[in-house]
Amino acid sequence: MAGKIIADTLETGAGADIATSYVVNGSAKAWANMNGTGTIALRDSLNSSSLTDHSAGIYTTSWTSSFADTEYATTTATNLDQAYSGDMCIVTHATGSLKHKTYYGAGHAGTDASINCHTNFGDLA
Amino acid sequence: MNTPEFQGTHLWLRLGWAKESLEAYQSDYRVVYEDSVDECAKILVPDPNWMAAAMQGGILPPVWVYWELAKDEAQPDFKKHTRGYLLHDTQPIEALDEKSAIEYLIMKDINPSIWMNWDEGNRPKMVICKKQQLPQTREWRNAWRISDELAA
Repeated sequence: MAGKIIADTLETGAGADIATSYVVNGSAKAWANMNGTGTIALRDSLNSSSLTDHSAGIYTTSWTSSFADTEYATTTATNLDQAYSGDMCIVTHATGSLKHKTYYGAGHAGTDASINCHTNFGDLA
Repeated sequence: MNTPEFQGTHLWLRLGWAKESLEAYQSDYRVVYEDSVDECAKILVPDPNWMAAAMQGGILPPVWVYWELAKDEAQPDFKKHTRGYLLHDTQPIEALDEKSAIEYLIMKDINPSIWMNWDEGNRPKMVICKKQQLPQTREWRNAWRISDELAA
């Protein structure tokens, strides 16, 4: 592959340095932004192959480059109206996919939101 | 644009190249399937960046690689993948047309119990359709089933 850079350490002009592994390990390995209303679709993503619409508010994002194990970290965000106490959560971590749910209210009923985002950090297989 | 020689390059780096170099492709195809009589129909939506990579060729591993990793993860003592090299070191597949890419995606992201015998029984449990054939609103989403019209 052209343009390869091999470096164990990154250093600023002021002399501060950091191991390259910090940058690699701290980078998001997968993320997605999806529209869960109308005919659902992925707006943009990294390392995703498909989105499965299970039911209202419940989806699975499948990965192209699998995670090494099921202990990767996920952060989520949605634009559900705060009046409904809406949120988005993890249902299942698998190495090849993430099942997630967008919900509102005390009963945590799955619901569709126009913006659903998740970002995933961890080691890849 | 030619794809660099990627065999042996980590798959995640290849995806980074694809995202920077290729235009995302929004497919109109959708895969509707039912995996339980007690649940509503599921709908698989292809990722536009993945579609671009599949149609470019030289980036994605063959689908059997994912089956091998799935076998490993299904083991009761599974902790961590030890054969991730299959994703990176196996010869990447050549360019697929849109329909072939959807077929690959079905075999990658849908349980084999669905796609291996999708047309056995009284009615199909999986249908490939265009998104225009699906309801345009999410009303009664939790009651959606494969309709006779869609199955035909």
